[in-house]
Amino acid sequence: MTLQVENILAELSDRPAALPAAVLEALAARFRPAGLFLLALFPDGKLAWHDRAAGAFFLRYVFPLVQNSELSNRAGDGAQPPRPSAGIAIDRSIPGVLLAVLPHVEKRQNLGFLVVAAREEAFALSEDALRFAGRLGLDGAWLDHQAGDVPGFIETALQTQARLVSGCLKDQLRLAGLEHELDSVSEQLASTYEELSLIYQVSGGMKVNRSSEDFFKQTCLDVLPVMGVRAVGVALGPEAHSPGAVLFGQMELPAGIIARLGGQLLSMLSVRKSALLINDLAANPQFKWLGEHARHLLAVPLQRYDKTLGCLFALDKEIGDFDSADAKLLNSIANESAIYLENAKLFEDAHGLMMGLLHSLTSAVDAKDAYTCGHSERVALLSRHLSQAAGLGDYEVEQVYMAGLLHDVGKIGVPESVLQKTGKLTPEEFELMKKHPRIGARILQDVRQVKHLIPGVLHHHERFDGAGYPDGLAGAAIPLMGRIICLADSFDAMTSNRTYRKALPLEVALTEIRRCAGTHFDPELAEAFLGTNADRYRELLLDHQQKSRKLLDFPEPLREHAPLSNR
Amino acid sequence: MTAKTILVADDESHILSVVSLKLRNAGFRVLTAADGQEALDLARQERPDLLITDYHMPLLSGIELCRRLRQECAFIPTIMLTARGYNLDPTDTAESGILLMISKPFSPRHLLATVQEILARQVAAA
Repeated sequence: MTLQVENILAELSDRPAALPAAVLEALAARFRPAGLFLLALFPDGKLAWHDRAAGAFFLRYVFPLVQNSELSNRAGDGAQPPRPSAGIAIDRSIPGVLLAVLPHVEKRQNLGFLVVAAREEAFALSEDALRFAGRLGLDGAWLDHQAGDVPGFIETALQTQARLVSGCLKDQLRLAGLEHELDSVSEQLASTYEELSLIYQVSGGMKVNRSSEDFFKQTCLDVLPVMGVRAVGVALGPEAHSPGAVLFGQMELPAGIIARLGGQLLSMLSVRKSALLINDLAANPQFKWLGEHARHLLAVPLQRYDKTLGCLFALDKEIGDFDSADAKLLNSIANESAIYLENAKLFEDAHGLMMGLLHSLTSAVDAKDAYTCGHSERVALLSRHLSQAAGLGDYEVEQVYMAGLLHDVGKIGVPESVLQKTGKLTPEEFELMKKHPRIGARILQDVRQVKHLIPGVLHHHERFDGAGYPDGLAGAAIPLMGRIICLADSFDAMTSNRTYRKALPLEVALTEIRRCAGTHFDPELAEAFLGTNADRYRELLLDHQQKSRKLLDFPEPLREHAPLSNR
Repeated sequence: MTAKTILVADDESHILSVVSLKLRNAGFRVLTAADGQEALDLARQERPDLLITDYHMPLLSGIELCRRLRQECAFIPTIMLTARGYNLDPTDTAESGILLMISKPFSPRHLLATVQEILARQVAAA
């Protein structure tokens, strides 16, 4: 393939410069109806092109004679540009034919000659003409007849026409040049569009709650086709959530090589802080070792406030070498990515802090009552599970989870003597107990980030039939969050040991939920709850148990019983 | 097989240049129009295999162009280019034969791939 291209190039460079054929065709089409025949010669006088659509008089009489005439020699002599004021030379070497010979000079380079041929006004079958025709094997009468079909010109008229042709040629060449320029500008513009749309795409994917692995994978995959490279990778420093190097694209490198490259780039870029561009790795002392795998390398740092968080790198450009435009593009992507990294880290910190505080708060509540230890965590998990079963979106599910964690936070305001009482509560004590949803809502109301969880906390003791507290809401008037937590709370309460009774077996608890669907519980939620497979609870809770020792005292029944039967 | 004809309508000449170059290099015959009316006239004459049109254009908006073509001609699959963040009523677009909206700045590579995919589907369906 390469060889072929080289051959073509060699051939082209051997050939003398010439006027572009497409331009000549357009020109000929315009002047043919006026009775003019156009030919083009190379600067050395050899025939380069002629109008193949001309009439028989020109193609069979004039053309072969021009080919054989000394016109070429004469044209060759006149290679220097004519003075603008000079008249156009008319050649009469072919009997009955006028030839205007126009050298075409551009940027001091002779591109050859344009020859405008026409029948002479005073065409006659002279002896000369007959002799020439005879040599070509043409019949004299036939030639005379053909000549009669072509308009005749006198010398000055042809000169005028030739000037027109010459001017038109210049315009056409200029136009062709402009079109070519337009194409190359469009080509550049197209690549700018690609880059712009890539940057939009990358920044569009910068959602802080997205994992950085996911973000960088997408970014690398997006960059690959736009840059036209065989591999794009990212290396993140030790402070990142997932440090190390990964590579995407067609190039398959051993993990050790990717890790070594990532490490070396990180240490180099954290010092130089600007793009690294190497187009011959094998010849580079620092990257000689990579030479057998790749030829080109472009790497840019992921920087925030002068700190290098990692780097983006690309290997092996498919066409040509890496240049400054590639470096600029990868840098823009790196800048966007660094903003994402920073934001993701801030988000993670803030989110982690909030979740940490929520868990501490609920532990504080649970600590007030040894019997309900771990209750808030379990209710949160069950609520999450239930809201997933009810088809809520990811965001809502997490909100329900947090509300589940916080649902009993108001118990901080209920005396321990009431919370830990072993016997039945007196009506007064029960009134105190009933205050906890409102107290909880009051605790949360001034914290902007958890304010929206209040409906779940405030209404988790409402009953579907309206007999609950604190507001006695019924049916759909109870916020969904409240209905979900109510069910999870009751289930956990039934399957836990309490001060006043032992834990109920799983089957009993499930029967109870079925029995109370529509009175105590939202019937649709109850159905969703009973319809889920208990194996999933078990996994969910065992998984959580491993993370949190609090769940060690999760009620035995749920762990040991067979899966919930599907209703 | 003769080259498929694609009509590109946009009042921004740089978009026309970029899109038509990309399509021409891929072997398509490309017609261009600088406004909706010109596009309508050209489409009537030439019956292109596919139309790529801007939304905001002088004389005749992209959506009006599609609606008129839908009434007069057989179905011409259409890709509409719009400014980013500008959303059209989906029922509006469906009624006018618009298969796809692509927001500017777009990737010419992606546009070409989309055109090839639509035309391939068209051939497969025929």
